[in-house]
Amino acid sequence: MALISLMIAIPLIGAIITFLTRTRQQARAIALISSGISLIISLFLLSRFSSSISAPQFLESTQWIASLGVNLKFGVDGIGLPLVLLSNIVIPLTVVFAWGETKQANQFYGLILLEQVGVLGVFTSLDFFVFYIFWEIVLIPMYFLISLWGGPRKDYSAIKFFIYTHVASLVMLLAIFTLYFMAPPVDPFTGQRTFDMFYLLNSYQIIASPILKDAIFLALLFGFIVKMPAVPFHTWLPDAHVEAPTAGSVILAALLLKMGGYGLFRIILPILPFSGSPGKLITLMAIIAILSILWGTFLALAQRDLKKMVAYSSISHMGYVMLGAAALIPLSVSGAMFQMFSHGLITCVLFMSCGVIQHSAGTRIIGNLGGIAKHMPKLAFLMMAGFLASLGLPAMSGFVAEFLVLVNSYITLPTFVILALFGIVFTAGYHLWAMQRAVFGTYNEKLGHIHDGAGYEIAAMAILVLLIIFFGLNPSPVLNMMTTNANQLVALAAGLKGVIT
Amino acid sequence: MFSDYAALIVLLPVIGFVLTLFLGKKLPSGGAYIPIAAILGSFIISLGIFLEIYPDKVIQQSWNWFAGMNLGILIDPLAIVMLLMVSFVSLLIHIYAVGYMAHDPAKPRYFAETSLFTAAMLAVVLSDNVLQFFIAWEIVGLCSYLLIGFWYHKPAAAAAAKKAFLVTRVGDVLFLAGIVLLYVNMSQIIASHAFTLPQGNFILQFKSMFDAIPQIDPRQLTYITLLFFGGAVGKSGQFPLHGWLPDAMEGPTTVSALIHAATMVTAGVYLVARTFPMFVAAPDSLLVVAYIGGFTALFAATMGIVMNDIKRVLAYSTVSQLGYMMLALGTAGIAIGAKAVGISVFHLISHAFFKALLFLCAGSVIHAVGTNDIREMGGLFSKMKITAITMIIASLSLSGIGVPLIDLGIPVNIATSGFFSKDAIIEGAFEFGDKTGNFIPYIFAILAALLTSIYIFRLWFMTFSGTPRSEKHAHESPNVMTIPLIVLAALALLFGYSQTGFYNYLEKNFRLMNVFVPVHQEASPPSLIITLLPLIMGIAGLLISYAIYHRRMLDMSKLVSSQNPLYKLLIKRYYEPGLSADIIGVKITHGVAAQSGEFVDRKIIDGLIIDNVISNSLIKFGDVAKKIQTGVVQNYASIVLLGIGLLVILLMLGGA
Amino acid sequence: MLYYYLLVSAIIFTVGSYGIITQRSGIKILMCIELLLNSANLNLVAFSSYNGNASGQVFAAFSIAIAAAEAAIGFAILVALFRVRDTINLDNIDILRW
Repeated sequence: MALISLMIAIPLIGAIITFLTRTRQQARAIALISSGISLIISLFLLSRFSSSISAPQFLESTQWIASLGVNLKFGVDGIGLPLVLLSNIVIPLTVVFAWGETKQANQFYGLILLEQVGVLGVFTSLDFFVFYIFWEIVLIPMYFLISLWGGPRKDYSAIKFFIYTHVASLVMLLAIFTLYFMAPPVDPFTGQRTFDMFYLLNSYQIIASPILKDAIFLALLFGFIVKMPAVPFHTWLPDAHVEAPTAGSVILAALLLKMGGYGLFRIILPILPFSGSPGKLITLMAIIAILSILWGTFLALAQRDLKKMVAYSSISHMGYVMLGAAALIPLSVSGAMFQMFSHGLITCVLFMSCGVIQHSAGTRIIGNLGGIAKHMPKLAFLMMAGFLASLGLPAMSGFVAEFLVLVNSYITLPTFVILALFGIVFTAGYHLWAMQRAVFGTYNEKLGHIHDGAGYEIAAMAILVLLIIFFGLNPSPVLNMMTTNANQLVALAAGLKGVIT
Repeated sequence: MFSDYAALIVLLPVIGFVLTLFLGKKLPSGGAYIPIAAILGSFIISLGIFLEIYPDKVIQQSWNWFAGMNLGILIDPLAIVMLLMVSFVSLLIHIYAVGYMAHDPAKPRYFAETSLFTAAMLAVVLSDNVLQFFIAWEIVGLCSYLLIGFWYHKPAAAAAAKKAFLVTRVGDVLFLAGIVLLYVNMSQIIASHAFTLPQGNFILQFKSMFDAIPQIDPRQLTYITLLFFGGAVGKSGQFPLHGWLPDAMEGPTTVSALIHAATMVTAGVYLVARTFPMFVAAPDSLLVVAYIGGFTALFAATMGIVMNDIKRVLAYSTVSQLGYMMLALGTAGIAIGAKAVGISVFHLISHAFFKALLFLCAGSVIHAVGTNDIREMGGLFSKMKITAITMIIASLSLSGIGVPLIDLGIPVNIATSGFFSKDAIIEGAFEFGDKTGNFIPYIFAILAALLTSIYIFRLWFMTFSGTPRSEKHAHESPNVMTIPLIVLAALALLFGYSQTGFYNYLEKNFRLMNVFVPVHQEASPPSLIITLLPLIMGIAGLLISYAIYHRRMLDMSKLVSSQNPLYKLLIKRYYEPGLSADIIGVKITHGVAAQSGEFVDRKIIDGLIIDNVISNSLIKFGDVAKKIQTGVVQNYASIVLLGIGLLVILLMLGGA
Repeated sequence: MLYYYLLVSAIIFTVGSYGIITQRSGIKILMCIELLLNSANLNLVAFSSYNGNASGQVFAAFSIAIAAAEAAIGFAILVALFRVRDTINLDNIDILRW
């Protein structure tokens, strides 16, 4: 049973049908149904998944381009499945949240479904060629979501987003081709090569030149940290978020950023121990991580636009992913993976809150808001929950992830953890400061009469909040499968003891 | 049999929270009866468990959670007395709030949040591991944030809520850092086989931590305990993180009574008491605890004298009394060992009763008069007899006044509970001085005792005696409010008599977990003057206040003016709000750090590098390079022909 | 004999190419293109006759038909252009340049 390809194909078919529909009612119904079917399939995968095996499960492989050795090879393991699940939770909820979209609705929902196709493909494909194709597919619908439904500076932002991430993918593509040609042919007689991901990653270690190894490593890393994004390659993100429509922002922050993080675990960590100078590279990753955490925090503090603030908070949170990955301790790595999952849920709530406020009050500038809790009590409640989760309140999923990362990274990277701890107070600072000025206090009468979020918007956010609390109280189902893979990744690095300083 | 339901102690108020939140609007009194019933349930279970385990049993339950951590319940003497106090005081305050909040439209939210708070506070108390402790501790902080900002439409309340959360967050981060350090040390000694974790035990359980103390490097232990104490400083409003607690008075008075007097702020003291074996193993940390506690006790009392907001006086009083509890843990911990926990927690509980009572009385007054400013009160005694009398009981208890008949040879003292609990602390501080030659903590404590008595009776006389200073029409509060006052007043009077039994019960606490905490020999009883000095201070303060604020024997207008630098310093609260909010918060963090980051992002990364260096140079290169393409087809055709000609020539040369 | 045919064809081709490169008038360039095509046709016929294979002549006939179509379209474009721009001097028709 080719369940994974089915899971990817259904939103694709749904997208095509959605483009052809004539009314927005049809479009959103089809979008919801097809993304929902995908969700059901992934839940089925979850129920059949064995979390004690680190190898990919539900493997399927079909030959595609024989002469190049390209196969449509899919499978999920503890790294991929949580993100597949996340994608399939976020997309239907985004459709629900955007239930009221009126502008070219069929295209809007169709593009959302295409995003789902792209991210699911990235998280499941085990062939570098196919991986890269899906990686690029993701860009195109997002470009259109920003440039067609975006705000006043949408053209600038869309282009910036596209160029930034595209340049990064091209650098990554170069590295993939280098790996492809440096790896020994699978069949020494015919010289047949393969794009199989595991095969290429395994053959990384037999490359002779340490400089070439490091170059490949850095090229791949560059591809991923631009996507994450990490300081100093992050400036596309706030611009893209500010201009993107809410649904676009949600997908961008919840899923597209996770592709970068996914690359860290799928591709970077398996080759890190065999690179030319692992110690220096780990330090580099840790420095980038800590810069992102602190930089994102302080810049969030400086923002006047609520959505831009949330965008910077994403940068800060993704820094934890990098930090946990660089520490190379089983629980720090699985904590970092959990951070991706958890941030995916939390950031949705934050961006949805911004969207509702923008829609209702007509502005997102924190200083122009004030006291909106009076007229938007439901939104204020859910937004508060989202903000608290984002600042790492225990009993919500963000805390589990950050706690695991901090506690375990201290073993190998103590200095960096201490620096990260400094950031926590300021993280709380910008969240609460924004809440105080935007949501609480006296009502700003200049806003006129504003209304609470629509039922479907509130419902989507409430489901997410419940999930955040659920995974905060009971992280084990997801965390266990991550830990299995994290153990395996760290076992690869067993020879590195003492290299890290 | 009650012990099987220990988890319900926490779960009942959680259920109460959910039900009240969603159903409260449809029920009478905002659904207040749901949390009251739930907390009553918690109290009954706690009481049942107490009867079951007294005098020498401990309940431990533990469930696997995630990544080698656990959820668990530990009910030992320390926990059970706290459980009883928290659930009982919370119950009374909930009942009181039915009357106090009767006219507030947002009652369901209020009762839901206080119910959640009670659940979290109970979870703090019965945690068996430090992670769960921290989680509950943070949720307690969250509820404090939500309830301080309960009237969120008031800008001052919103700001105070934020300040409370952020300042305690500083402490929480230190606490978290302590947990990180502890976890790392524990996992290292486990990895090196210096210490084995018994089957069924978890790495962050208190039991495992205590067992591992001998194996942990003492310097690391000092860091860990200092970081833990950092958390306690934040939560318990100790210097220098004390500033949030007076501001927190923006919340409803019931919230101040519940959270900022009786329960949450004592969580810091409870943390130090809970991890006391670690502190004992790190005497340097204990000394820090003693100094910070003693200094805070005095420091906060100085500001309590000048405040005019009835609740702020009480808030500073709370800070000061929490300082006493810390002082007890520090000095007595060094001087007399294990008994220090008993001394400190005894004061904690007696303080919970009389300070909750003080706040509720203040609430009753505010409810009646409609202002917080004691300068606008006065002469309320005849109008609010129950409130006035219960409040004077609480004030006597706070200033530790009683008749020490024992010293006259009669076997029973007639005294308030504060007399018993506070005396023991000051005596502990004296004993510490006696043993180490360091009397500084003792001097802090004894001066603070004088100031305490002055400010609390100033408060009482300003409020209840003399003639009314405003036109407000006051009346006694309804029964639902006065009955909790009377119950608490009875406790404030009588709780002290459990002193000996209480000390003995708590002294066993760590021994029941097979953890060794040294018990030092108590010195011979100090001279009579030392024993009586705290009482003398209390009575002196009472007399001073009586003279100034009742008989008006002194003209205070010279002293109380902005011309007087000392008064100005005190009324400005040592410039702490300006320092923390304006300078650190706004100017340095937001103004300098954040804006310079913004500058780098916008002007350097985006402006200079992306726009100028990369974009512009590419555009310029394109401008030059495009000239090659003339766009005239004939030029291309000539070049094609030229190319073909060259090829032909090359082929001919090659062929030849 | 083939030599002469090829020589004539080469001369016509050279003349045509020279015209394409140097001329500015659209009509003249189109005529030069016709010269190029016809020189190729001449070659095809010559080789066909030389090899005794008729397919070259078929090809030439085909090519003439194509050339006619091409000329028709080309002149139509030029006429249309002339109506809009009043000129068929290709130097002046440069709106897509840079």
